[in-house]
Amino acid sequence: MNEIALTSADRFDIRDWLRLEMFPHFLCPGCGHGLALRAFLWAVHELGIDRDALAVISGIGCAGRLSAYVDANTFHVTHGRPLAFATGLKLARPDLTVVVITGDGDGLAIGGNHLIHACRRNLDLTCLLLNNEVYGMTGGQVSPTTAAERYTTTTPAGNCEPGFDACKLAEGAGATFVGREATLQVPTLKNLIREAIAHKGFSFVEVISDCTEIFGRKNALGNSPEMVLRQKAGMRPDNWGNKVDRPFRPNPFPTGVFVRKTRPEYLELYEAMTAAARREERD
Amino acid sequence: MTAHLRNLQGNAACALGAIAAGCRFYAGYPITPSSEIAEWMAAELPRVGGIFVQMEDEIASMAAVIGASLGGMKAMTATSGPGFSLKQENLGYAVMAEVPCVIVDVMRGGPSTGMPTRPSQADVMQARWGTHGDHPSLVLAPHSVAEIYSETIRAFGLAERLRTPVVLLYDETLGHLIETIATEPPPPEALLERKWAEGPRREYRPYAAGEDLVPAMARPGDGHRAHTTGLTHDETGFPTQDPERVARLLDRLLGKLEHHRALIEKVDRVETEDAELLIVAIGIAARAAKAAVGALRRQGVKAGLFRPVTLWPFPEEGFRSAVATAKTVLVPEMNAGQLVLEIERLAPAGVTVHRLGRYDGEPIAPEEIVAAARELVR
Amino acid sequence: MRVQEPNRAAVETRDHARVTSVLMVGVGGQGILMVSKVLATLCQNAGMEVKQSEVHGMAKRGGAVFSHIRFGPEVHSPLIPEGEADVLLALEWAEGLRWLHYLRPGEGVFISDVRRIVPPFACRNRGRGVTPEYARATPAEIIGRLGTGYALDATGIARGLGNERTANTVLLGVLSTALAFPEEAWIEVISRVVPAETLEINRAAFLAGRAWVAEATVPEEEASPVTADPLLARITHRLEITRAWCKGCDICVKFCPERCLVLDEEQIALLAEPEACTGCRLCEWLCPDFAIRLHKEVPAPGASTSPETTSGTAGCDR
Ligand SMILES: Cc1ncc(C[n+]2csc(CCOP(=O)(O)OP(=O)(O)O)c2C)c(N)n1
Ligand code: SF4
Ligand code: SF4
Ligand code: SF4
Ligand SMILES: [Mg+2]
Repeated sequence: MNEIALTSADRFDIRDWLRLEMFPHFLCPGCGHGLALRAFLWAVHELGIDRDALAVISGIGCAGRLSAYVDANTFHVTHGRPLAFATGLKLARPDLTVVVITGDGDGLAIGGNHLIHACRRNLDLTCLLLNNEVYGMTGGQVSPTTAAERYTTTTPAGNCEPGFDACKLAEGAGATFVGREATLQVPTLKNLIREAIAHKGFSFVEVISDCTEIFGRKNALGNSPEMVLRQKAGMRPDNWGNKVDRPFRPNPFPTGVFVRKTRPEYLELYEAMTAAARREERD
Repeated sequence: MTAHLRNLQGNAACALGAIAAGCRFYAGYPITPSSEIAEWMAAELPRVGGIFVQMEDEIASMAAVIGASLGGMKAMTATSGPGFSLKQENLGYAVMAEVPCVIVDVMRGGPSTGMPTRPSQADVMQARWGTHGDHPSLVLAPHSVAEIYSETIRAFGLAERLRTPVVLLYDETLGHLIETIATEPPPPEALLERKWAEGPRREYRPYAAGEDLVPAMARPGDGHRAHTTGLTHDETGFPTQDPERVARLLDRLLGKLEHHRALIEKVDRVETEDAELLIVAIGIAARAAKAAVGALRRQGVKAGLFRPVTLWPFPEEGFRSAVATAKTVLVPEMNAGQLVLEIERLAPAGVTVHRLGRYDGEPIAPEEIVAAARELVR
Repeated sequence: MRVQEPNRAAVETRDHARVTSVLMVGVGGQGILMVSKVLATLCQNAGMEVKQSEVHGMAKRGGAVFSHIRFGPEVHSPLIPEGEADVLLALEWAEGLRWLHYLRPGEGVFISDVRRIVPPFACRNRGRGVTPEYARATPAEIIGRLGTGYALDATGIARGLGNERTANTVLLGVLSTALAFPEEAWIEVISRVVPAETLEINRAAFLAGRAWVAEATVPEEEASPVTADPLLARITHRLEITRAWCKGCDICVKFCPERCLVLDEEQIALLAEPEACTGCRLCEWLCPDFAIRLHKEVPAPGASTSPETTSGTAGCDR
């Protein structure tokens, strides 16, 4: 039989983008981060990006481990700092497509300051923040996005802090592209990430992911399929064009594209503003 | 290019030395007394097609420098004590992932915010042991504006050639000292450069090193698609916890600088051949010591100065030969006693080691050293 | 847009003297509840007994939703038995196909938006029922097999009017032509049910649906019940499960709309019913371990095209 290609879904084989010798990957059964990785690689595939010109930078955490599985130029850096590393890499190598994969702890707690300034600076980077409401890697401690009252190993009586809306933070800090989607909606998530990567300037995508083994168990959220379904219980994903969709019931997490605007990209601006100096003779 | 005589501040000489060495990326966060380096770089880098960026903090600056270096640019950052502390975590990453970069620490009084505008030499041990885990450190300690210029160039060469972070350590006085120096950029062929991976991807193992213990680095876009991590890794670049491979990596990392001691070490000796009293000092304290040696010799004291320009790894052989004729060693330093610990470790039996320290924000004067020395040889 | 001229007289003379059954299906978020409310209110206003049974447990977008409406002088059961629906109104194409067997054979009217909502939205918690053959058939083929059917791009029409979400009202306009209530009565009820600010656009959508029926014709070549695209019909799919990568999370098993996957005794996914697999890829997309791959294939020239031999071969190890 000959394999034939019909649609983009048919042509995309995730294994073309993986370091197969690293598989099976280390994530727990049902971990949502795997779905996020599929959506990301699918988007990259659709954009026709050359893997040699793709750089993936991730921090520390279960989300941070994902870079190692991608057959591209990959960098697994320190906890919370992938955006800062990416800033240097992109400034040095604007020819590369630079994508950061971070977690809710990595990107919003220890790395929150870098996120704010990456949004503000508007360098042409894409940040995928995999939000599973918990510190998965370290065994299930409370994270900035853990919803109020949830149980974690460090909130045995329930979380007394409110959860954090990362997209609002990104918007407030000046990101020129901001969106959110759940891993359940793999094709929609792929489209969102594709648009984010294609966007010129800083783009931020929050991926609603699941920590099935630790957070799910601790909070009796059911088995893996049930957790994936639960993503929908609280939100109504955007399915009608790319308009922001209000949730059916009151919920802080709408999905879709929240910000899509143009503002001069950092490096372009830097080059334009230092053009006079660039022409000067050095004395 | 011909030599160019200029009146330059130490920090400016550092910036110009970096550019002469081919540095094209600077990321930093302002802090006294290092900020002039950033200001010079912001003005100078665009002229040579480079990039300057002021990051949100020192952690980010260090990260951005490593990121730029991973992309293939020679990169640097500069700071002072408090910022140097913040850079330590990512400095360790540069050690582990073997990413060339230069970090300048213009020392000021501490601990904590301390005395931003007063000099100090209290980061001698932070420069050696600041980041966690067993690691080698490569630290250069110039003592004049001219040497800041030339040592900055040397720092880049060592960083690139050995794939390691290199720290340039001097104090506030030197940073703000103005001297006339000749800024002569070395010819390109005189610069030590990074080894880039060549050849087909399937034969490339990112952390496999030959006899010189320095692996060739993959440049993104060249088709090697390597993985870089701060986790303990094997030659493939992927994490491992296999004891044998873990030990092999650390053996190589620690052995790498040892292996290249001849290239790395640099010392300055003043009248050490017959010295009975050996003074060991770095930076601004070494300048006072030099004056003191002259004064002591005039007074009939057989004094000499040993100045480790390469501070870490400490030039042990150089010190041993300098101390051969000495009965007494005096270590004047602007801290509560850091360099003296290494001297005590290395001093031969029978040689007594004394320190002369001050940490009140004032430099050590030659007269103080002379007085202390006379006290010792009495 | 394709249409088979409906036997409109048959529907109109039949209704109201006996029980009329209208089945509405779609996926959550499409506004099926609004449509069924309009019809039920309309019947009530006309003095009929109405029984309505809705399932919208997963009434967020993505869950299958359906509504049974039965009305007449006297109605006992709210549920429409298989094969007894007079009208099947589908707000989403694949969901419509799934319920086709509820239509009164040869007489029932099928009205559907041709838009498919891509899984995982739509496939979630659907019942079994669509054969692989159906899933691949074009609207022209489906309508060709039915006595009476309207397949229209209601979403496109609604978008043209300025709001995609009024696709349900466009379909309501089509439905209104199949039942014997006057146009004004429909509009009157709609204006009471929809929010005031959307009244104008909903009225326009309703009229657009009615106008579509009036203008619709039978495109000669497309109405033919023969297979439209021989290549498409010959494409088969093969599901490959990499046992070494599967961690038994059960996601594919629970999400497969056809329920053709199981976990074997080693807790590894297994394609238990290859013939039921439609090749929808939902399992491939939702496997967090990338253990499932779907290969689409065309047989080499001359090879058999019978579905038994070509669909759903269980996978190999790797
Ligand atoms: C400086 C530092 N502090 C703490 C840690 C320990 N640590 C590792 S991963 C992690 C949290 C990761 O959480 P998140 O970013 O949400 O990723 P997840 O594992 O949930 O995907 C922490 C605190 C570390 N590696 N480095
Ligand atoms: S601990 Fe949680 S986040 Fe980490 S791999 Fe397991 S399920 Fe995923
Ligand atoms: S492709 Fe997968 S999910 Fe779809 S029907 Fe086949 S087995 Fe089920
Ligand atoms: S979704 Fe993947 S890992 Fe989970 S049971 Fe199915 S094949 Fe196995
Ligand atoms: Mg997390």
